[in-house]
Amino acid sequence: MATFIQLIVDGLSTGSVYAAIALALVLVHQATGLINFAQGGMAVLAAYSAWWLLSRGVPLVLAISASVLLSFAFGAVVERWLMRRFERGDPDTAVVVTIGLLTLITGVCGWLFTYNNQQFPSLFSLDAVTFLGVSVSQRSIGTTVVIVVVMLLLQALFAGTKLGLALRAVAINPQSAAFSGLPVERLLMVGWGLAAALGAIAGALVAPQLTLTPGMLDNALVYALAAVILGGLSSPIGVVVAAWMIGVLENLAAVYVPLIGYDLKVAVPFILIFVVLVVRPQGLFGRKTVVRV
Amino acid sequence: MAGARMTTAALSDRQRSWLRRAGPLLLVVVLVVVPLVFPESVNETIARIGVFAVAVLGLNVVMGYAGQVSLGQIFFLGLGAYVTAYGVSNDWNIVVVFVLACLIPAFVGLLVALAAARLGGLAIAMVTVALPIVGVPLAKRLSEFTGGSQGLSARFGDAPEWSGLYDDQWRLYLVLAIGGAVFLLTRNLVRGKYGRVLGIVKKNENVASSVGISPYRYKVLAFTLASLIGGVSGFLYMLVIQYTSPETMSFGHSIQLLAAMVIGGAASIVGSVLGGAYYVLVPQLTNLVDPSLTALLQGAVLLVVLFVLPGGLASLARPLGRGRRSRARHDPAPLITPSATTKSGSAADTPETERQGHP
Repeated sequence: MATFIQLIVDGLSTGSVYAAIALALVLVHQATGLINFAQGGMAVLAAYSAWWLLSRGVPLVLAISASVLLSFAFGAVVERWLMRRFERGDPDTAVVVTIGLLTLITGVCGWLFTYNNQQFPSLFSLDAVTFLGVSVSQRSIGTTVVIVVVMLLLQALFAGTKLGLALRAVAINPQSAAFSGLPVERLLMVGWGLAAALGAIAGALVAPQLTLTPGMLDNALVYALAAVILGGLSSPIGVVVAAWMIGVLENLAAVYVPLIGYDLKVAVPFILIFVVLVVRPQGLFGRKTVVRV
Repeated sequence: MAGARMTTAALSDRQRSWLRRAGPLLLVVVLVVVPLVFPESVNETIARIGVFAVAVLGLNVVMGYAGQVSLGQIFFLGLGAYVTAYGVSNDWNIVVVFVLACLIPAFVGLLVALAAARLGGLAIAMVTVALPIVGVPLAKRLSEFTGGSQGLSARFGDAPEWSGLYDDQWRLYLVLAIGGAVFLLTRNLVRGKYGRVLGIVKKNENVASSVGISPYRYKVLAFTLASLIGGVSGFLYMLVIQYTSPETMSFGHSIQLLAAMVIGGAASIVGSVLGGAYYVLVPQLTNLVDPSLTALLQGAVLLVVLFVLPGGLASLARPLGRGRRSRARHDPAPLITPSATTKSGSAADTPETERQGHP
């Protein structure tokens, strides 16, 4: 029983990381209608910049904060100078552009910092806390808490501020938003920047566990995409719940289903998707959309 | 370029029809001669280009023609290669092996597409990205069939006694024959009724369904066909490279294949050949510059092509006219001929490793 609860808490912690990246994907999709396959890559770049700052003697919290800010700027720059040209065109081409960006970022990271694994210090200690006879690592709890807090902040931003209202307006109807005087292009940059910053937080939280490599988040991206499919692109809450579900289920499956085990647990979300797609094609929480011809 | 276009336009109808008829003939003649004149290393490079041209062609069917981004094509190449390796090492009849190497990937592709195509938009991209990521650990796990991380090697397609050819020449002929047949069939398919339907599905699914075409069915069809062609390329991969491991179908390779398709030219038969050449030759070139720069350069090239040449390299060849298009299939060859200007026999006279076969 103790292992079971431990597995669930650990699963929630990795699920939170997937959830952050999945939310970043949803943010970008709502703003510009495309899936950014470079979201994980951008987060890795942020983690590397934090690592570089650390090696220059900057304290950990400061280095991570700086990398989050840098990511915000980087996301905005990518939107303005790379993606904007492809946003109105064929979405497939835009997807290929993000794949090109992923390759480029991976290449830059590998070139600057080599492909060897780098150690990244953890914000939280690895010690376990014992609670009602169950020992859970502080890192798992810390990761989950940080990401939940970030999500609440994002929710507050979107629901309670003028900026959030403007971002939502641009997501729903860019043309009307422009007519009512909103600086749509700048808001798109903000949307991408927020997504990149969110990814950077996830990257910094998961880097100690995975150790830093240019391809560190390739798997996490796949999980996040699975969460996005399961939760539905139109539902941020659905995406977060799906990501947690994936994190917990894959952890349980790795231990309790010998056929799957640790090496094949990446297949779990896709078995889930397979079932869901057959039963509920619009996603667990998504709505069926009707498109006008 | 403008000059070339004018001369094409100035050709009389008779000349043009002559050109159109002579083009394929010339192509066949060149394809027959090529394996005989080049040294072993060049033949092997051309064979590799053939293998990946077929793989890119498969990706083109689903992505270029049907407009569904697939990040999983390399998985079907790997699957075809594993089926081939397993069959050959168990001494199955090679024709049976070939048929299985086509059908098993096609069947798996059908299953994946049946689920993935239910979601519209980019869902196929999001689901197929899982194929290489799941495929690698799966191949390691099923070590009974796949040899685990070690991989499998299998040697087949040695030149028969009566042909009097070197092994590399014979293998190249096999690649050209099988690959050529796949290209011809695919070309006919995409230029015919199915190609037009796929074009409509790509352009506007709602229009397609309003005229009684089921986008779902055609997306599944395109994906299944792409998987089948991927299986063929896996068979050829085993024929030429004779070794496969889980690394064959890694995520990185999958992305490189997609980049090769876009750079060669989406929805283009010529582009598929150019893509195959890009896939094989460019990493060799960037490795010469600096191996650690390979990924960086590849990403940069892909982005530059998307910015300045959205139609890929094939769009450069297009203005030369339809009749000449087939000749552009040989563009990859000149890239590697300079080293081959020596006498054809010279490589056989002074071989680094002995060339095998029956000269």
